[in-house]
Amino acid sequence: MSAALVLELKKLIIETLKLEEVTPEDIEDEGQLFGDGLGLDSIDALELVVALEKTYGVSIPDSEVGERVFRSVNTLAQFVKEQSAISNQQSAKE
Amino acid sequence: MRFDETELRVRFNEVDSWGIVWHGHYISWFEVGRMALLGKFHLLPKDFTQMGYIAPVVDLKCVFKEPARLDEEILIRTTVLEPTKAALTFRFEVLRKSDRKLLASGEETQVLLTLDGRMLYIIPQNLRERLQPLFDYLEEPDSPA
Repeated sequence: MSAALVLELKKLIIETLKLEEVTPEDIEDEGQLFGDGLGLDSIDALELVVALEKTYGVSIPDSEVGERVFRSVNTLAQFVKEQSAISNQQSAKE
Repeated sequence: MRFDETELRVRFNEVDSWGIVWHGHYISWFEVGRMALLGKFHLLPKDFTQMGYIAPVVDLKCVFKEPARLDEEILIRTTVLEPTKAALTFRFEVLRKSDRKLLASGEETQVLLTLDGRMLYIIPQNLRERLQPLFDYLEEPDSPA
């Protein structure tokens, strides 16, 4: 996984959710974002979805996809990378 | 931003032993305001269910400024913020009707779930279209509080 993208996503999470006392180093690449991990809740997920759409143009429609994508920063980075590749391919075809 | 107004009178069972309205009742008054507003646009819980959604409350707060007393006439003012995410945020004001004194204010957020419990992260187009007349109505200037 691209370390740069992982770091960028950690910063995005911190800025979007105004996690004032959290630094990117505090968030583990494989650590849980919701519940026992970083302790994010359902409203946080909605905020993140909006920020991810604005920043990377990726769409997370519901919790079914969200539970898979938001498992950790690594799974989120994987999703952003895959979706960006798909949308680049589509743009190239058009 | 417009607030929708609905009226009620403080009932005997809503007053505590100090002669003022018990704090928990303000939450049911918010519900009175919310249902009055949503009912005007056929957006009551049964209408949401017919569309395939439910909208549970995930956040609620209330700030108490002045007590309401038995038999006073109360105005519940309700509005909804234009959504920036897949959630509906209602704002409430509770006023004493006689002098329009603000007694309490509050805010409540509801998220959207499908009937099988999937939480929506994006407001579906069919629901957006149903909500638009409500937001058009609330965009109009408010009458002075």
